[in-house]
Amino acid sequence: MRYVSAVIDISGLVKTFGPTRALDGLDLRVEAGQVHGFLGPNGSGKSTTIRVLLGLLRPDAGTARLLGGDPWADAPALHRRLAYVPGDVSLWPNLSGGEIIDLLGRARGGLDGPRRAELIDRFELDPTKKGRSYSKGNRQKVALVAALSSDVELLLLDEPTSGLDPLMERVFNQVVAAERDRGRTVLLSSHILSEVESLCDHVSIIRAGKLVESGTLADLRHLTRTLINVESDSPPRQLAEVPGVHEVQVTGRLLTAQVDATAMGEVLGILAGSGVRSFTATPPTLEELFLRHYDGTS
Amino acid sequence: MTAVLGADLGRGSGPLTGVGLAFRRALRADRWFWLIWVLVLWSFIPATATAYRSTISDDAAGREVAAGLAANPTMRAMLGPPYDLLHVGGFTMWRVGGFVAMISGVMAVLGVIRATRAEEEAGRTELLRSAAIGRHALLAGAVGLGLAASGVLGLLIAASAVGLGTPVAGSLCMALGIALTAAVFVGVGAVTAQLSASARTARGVGLSVVGAAYLLRAVADGSGSGSSVRWLGWLSPVEWAPLARPYAAERWWVLLLPLVVAAGLIALAFSLEARRDHGAGLRAARPGPARGGEAFDSADALAWRLARPGMIGWGVGLIAFAVVMGSLADVFETVADSPELAERFRRMGAGAADLRLAFFVAMLGILVVLVAIWALQLVEHIRKEEESGRAEAVLATATSRPRYLGAHVIPAVVVPTLVLAAIGVLLPLQSGIATKDVGLIGRVLGGALALAPGVWLVLGVAVAVHGLAPQLALLPWVVVGWSLVVNWIGGVLGFSESLLKTTPFGLLPRLPAEPMAWTPVIVESVVAGLLIAAGFWGYQRRDVG
Repeated sequence: MRYVSAVIDISGLVKTFGPTRALDGLDLRVEAGQVHGFLGPNGSGKSTTIRVLLGLLRPDAGTARLLGGDPWADAPALHRRLAYVPGDVSLWPNLSGGEIIDLLGRARGGLDGPRRAELIDRFELDPTKKGRSYSKGNRQKVALVAALSSDVELLLLDEPTSGLDPLMERVFNQVVAAERDRGRTVLLSSHILSEVESLCDHVSIIRAGKLVESGTLADLRHLTRTLINVESDSPPRQLAEVPGVHEVQVTGRLLTAQVDATAMGEVLGILAGSGVRSFTATPPTLEELFLRHYDGTS
Repeated sequence: MTAVLGADLGRGSGPLTGVGLAFRRALRADRWFWLIWVLVLWSFIPATATAYRSTISDDAAGREVAAGLAANPTMRAMLGPPYDLLHVGGFTMWRVGGFVAMISGVMAVLGVIRATRAEEEAGRTELLRSAAIGRHALLAGAVGLGLAASGVLGLLIAASAVGLGTPVAGSLCMALGIALTAAVFVGVGAVTAQLSASARTARGVGLSVVGAAYLLRAVADGSGSGSSVRWLGWLSPVEWAPLARPYAAERWWVLLLPLVVAAGLIALAFSLEARRDHGAGLRAARPGPARGGEAFDSADALAWRLARPGMIGWGVGLIAFAVVMGSLADVFETVADSPELAERFRRMGAGAADLRLAFFVAMLGILVVLVAIWALQLVEHIRKEEESGRAEAVLATATSRPRYLGAHVIPAVVVPTLVLAAIGVLLPLQSGIATKDVGLIGRVLGGALALAPGVWLVLGVAVAVHGLAPQLALLPWVVVGWSLVVNWIGGVLGFSESLLKTTPFGLLPRLPAEPMAWTPVIVESVVAGLLIAAGFWGYQRRDVG
């Protein structure tokens, strides 16, 4: 093993379904203790990646290591150390939510009773309802409680908040934040960027089965531009000549511009001498990062 | 579709608004289902009628065969009361008319539930109900389609029977009898679809009604003439068509029975539907336990839990079938057989001269296919679990693939085999006690167990398909469907000896009528084992989900 600390280490992973190339040489690395956001639009291969990691799908090429083991060959042993929440939860129609939570938890190797009770309480889940009568959000809660009640090293969460209302999304964020503080590793796939932004310290972005970007949120912000709004008695038009400053617009006393991280120091120096009355800088949201990667332009 | 909805909006908003739309939607969704069922059921009538002369020749020998068939309680129990075997119409009605009527009940129950409760359970009717569609329109559309299919089946039967030269009145009576029997079970399906929120439960209840109706008439017809249970036949919807006596001085008034019962059941279904919520059964959903029981901790426990309702239904049903059929055996007398009859019984009951043994062997042949269907349903859970994504949830726990597959396959092998053994004991039990012939029970049990490798072979095909080529999921059903046709009516339909052997059960020795043959028993067991092993091998190597 090259990287002892990597919980997930995928390189050159290829998975095809007939003519579709779902994963096309994907690389992904998640270190222990990371809450790793796994971003990509629908159909980009997020769920396929997670199902390869679960040993449900066998890759056509490339390697995948999970918790130091082979996800295909060592599946049952590895699964004692992880919990999984699928994106589209299907429950047994005749089993109650409580029975399903216990079944999945015990089959994983045991679950923590008090923690189960606490989670049911926090997610306001009625565990006596039958699988068939849960709404989508409540099915999701059953899967979340089942996964989070176990004491595991790794959580694989595939779009875990789909169907949850904003209140429950907040509970989910708090619970995952607590998991992070307890040192668990989390892989959180999503196309909801604000969710990843508030929870994750690392982000990998995939598109069409390939990794297009990976790093800490701070790393990724280096790659993009900050929007500045300046109100000044004499807006410094010469900003437009500074390398790394784009789209300078001046309307009366107002100036807006896009500034690369590399040019920020110089820009602030120029602004300091130009009678600035107000200044706002808006860091890029992940939405903008995302648009940049999937628009095909930058 | 928008135009149709708009048109209906203009016409007011009764509970039946949009019934035309509902009918067309059901027709569009299920046209293949109904078409295939109707054509297959219809085909038995011309196939039998055209084969008539090869069975009953037009001479003294033919008349003797007919008399022997009419007197044979095994044949009466299986096929119903014969009224006139000396003409092609009466013979066709007896040989396949009652059978077609019963199986049309299966078609009707499955078809109506498919278009109503199954759609509702899947959540697909909710969208329709949000359109300008009345409360009863979908049920009315499904019932209408079921009745239309019953009518088409009747028309085809009447036309082909008249076309083959049988008397018009008899043809109409037979066709009407079968179509009205189907209509009764359209009503049964419509009522059972209201009872439970689960389509599976609805199907189970509906098909149990068909099974119970068959058992009732088998008891009535199989008991000797003048028996005190003869009247039970009048309680069985699948007996009404034969009781109308097509081709034998038709008793048209008997057909009022299915007419009234069908109308009553359909009316009941609508009134039940008015009393329940969309998506719900008649009873409000009861809450389940907040915690799983101590032992509910693994794929094995889950597989047992999923199989439990079916185990109870099938186990009780099969054992009841064996007990009831067993009660018929003690009225049999050994009759001197003509050479033609001996030949027929040899094919039906594998050549047992003793009518009682011939009966047991014939019954084992029918029951073993039902056991195989049940066993197949048990492994069918694996496929449904995978398609729904629930297999993924379990395989994402510390459950290995072999353990997961084994959790479903082991009960599917063990439990039906045990029930088959129980059938082998219960079928001859009453007769054995009555005649103080305890050895008989052992011999029939041996006969049942000698057929077990056929059940295992069907399971082997199913497991191999699931592991190696899940897209062929229909294959094991084709195998048991063919076995059902061959074992149930192949003998009476005059299938050739080699055709009769083309099922997993055809090569196995028909104990106790035939001597034990170890080779096919061992070969089939080994092949079944290899197929199951191949299925496990493949399942460990393929993608899941």
